[in-house]
Amino acid sequence: MEFVGKIFTLAVTAIFVQNFVLSRFLGLCPYIGVSKKLDSALGMGMAVIFVMTMASTFTWLIQTYLLIPLDLKYLQTIAFILTIASLVQLVEMIIQKTAPALYKALGVFLPLITTNCAVLGVAILNINEEFNFIESVLNGFFAGLGFTLVLLLMAGIRERLDKADVPKSMKGMPIAMVVAGCMALAFLGFSGLKI
Amino acid sequence: MKLTQEFTKGFIKENPVFVMALGLCPTLAVTTSVENAIGMGLAATFVLLFSNIFISLIKKIIPDKIRIPSYIVVIASFVTIVDMVMNAYFPAIHKNLGLFIPLIVVNCIILGRAEAFANKNTVIRSIVDGLGMGLGFTLALIVIGGIREILGVGQFLGHNVLPVSYKPVIVAILAPGAFLVMGVLMGLMNMKKTK
Amino acid sequence: MKYFLKLGLILLIISVVASGILAYINSITKPLIEENERREKEEARMDVLPEAVTFDSLTVFNKETVYTAKDDSGNIVGYTFIACKYGYSSNVKTMVGLKPDLSINNVKIISQSETPGLGANCIKPEFQAEFADKTENELKVDKDGGDIISLTGATITTRTIANSIKEGLNELKNIILTEEEVTE
Repeated sequence: MEFVGKIFTLAVTAIFVQNFVLSRFLGLCPYIGVSKKLDSALGMGMAVIFVMTMASTFTWLIQTYLLIPLDLKYLQTIAFILTIASLVQLVEMIIQKTAPALYKALGVFLPLITTNCAVLGVAILNINEEFNFIESVLNGFFAGLGFTLVLLLMAGIRERLDKADVPKSMKGMPIAMVVAGCMALAFLGFSGLKI
Repeated sequence: MKLTQEFTKGFIKENPVFVMALGLCPTLAVTTSVENAIGMGLAATFVLLFSNIFISLIKKIIPDKIRIPSYIVVIASFVTIVDMVMNAYFPAIHKNLGLFIPLIVVNCIILGRAEAFANKNTVIRSIVDGLGMGLGFTLALIVIGGIREILGVGQFLGHNVLPVSYKPVIVAILAPGAFLVMGVLMGLMNMKKTK
Repeated sequence: MKYFLKLGLILLIISVVASGILAYINSITKPLIEENERREKEEARMDVLPEAVTFDSLTVFNKETVYTAKDDSGNIVGYTFIACKYGYSSNVKTMVGLKPDLSINNVKIISQSETPGLGANCIKPEFQAEFADKTENELKVDKDGGDIISLTGATITTRTIANSIKEGLNELKNIILTEEEVTE
């Protein structure tokens, strides 16, 4: 029972209270860049959930069974970013071979993910917070879920924003930032949640 | 393009933050105070300068196919150097910037300049470009950090600049404030451009 | 095939050179970083128990050493330990100085990254002074009926600090008391 509670806390924290985009400022580039259309936002979100979970898994294993025993902790940044880059490449190849339909939906977003700081961010956070293996994997998954949630919300708002009467100089990026600000304000309300 | 132009283009005309919207995550995350903004700006400038130099030096030896992974290794090495040196000599700032120092690796400005500039230009030009872009980034961070610190705490660089009767707008240094200030500043930049 | 071997070789060379340089810089900065951390903790210990001259390690709590503090004539003037708990957005670590009667002499927040302007205000001396002279049972914030005044907009941070110290005290008091009996 305690385990279930712990997972629940982890989920609520990663998705709402400490949302990666709106509270930790990770993954802003795709958040602003790929949120113009709802369907592409969904594709990006799915790709990010997938890669974040995989990245959390592998970087935790590398840190625990390679870098710490060999006393190479100072190579963490290089090791993690290379892991993520090769992981993304691998996933791309595997999906292309085995699931062409999925590849068609996610393919364009995968290369973008290497430089999504949310992925490297979650990998380093898992280590900093001293999570165990299962917590790390779940944290990666939930963080990706939180990212997808706000990405979808944002895309939904922006599709309507196109028709709104926005001052000319605020069109596009600036108004997206202001909308993000309002969403962050709303998400600040979750900070009272303490489980 | 003249060298002086190459240097100053990053300040306003091609400012990486306001105009190109690159490196948004650190821009919004660490600008709760001017001090942090300067720390982050200089750390990124250092990495940008050295990775530009290095990449323009080795561009002939690196086959095109493994260009990106090689760049990532070079950038990640310089980031790790900055991380270690800051931790040893400026522990207070290092603590404040925390996670965002290793995340310089995935800052799109750095890989972007490597790919778009250092890769095609001479060492001298790459140095000038790296310095200019880095300082432009720092400048943007200081502007945002300054506004947020003055509004949110009533201070600039830790000194009181507003009368005691001023009641700080705390939201300015919280997450939503970052988005709102950024959105308004981008809008102002657009207004200036379209005039 | 040969071409791919060449590619791999070049990448390998770059990585090896990079790791070599990093290993060298690490060997220079690592002692400095460790020294910084050690000195920071030492200064924090002096801050929370200014009368103390020597610190002898007593036991280990939260992976950190608990110290018995003595003045120059060898009398016990108190104990120090590091309390740690997850606050609103970060682990908050507090150096706690105890008087010999196990009430708090002073505390100092040594590491946190709570919200700037709200929870991060816990590093202010006025706030830390709230904890002076409190005993284990008095460690309650105002919202829970105690008299530690919460930071504006940061009840969670305040509660975390109070609870982390309380937990530490609860765990350590028996160890400290038995230790005293042995030495006396």
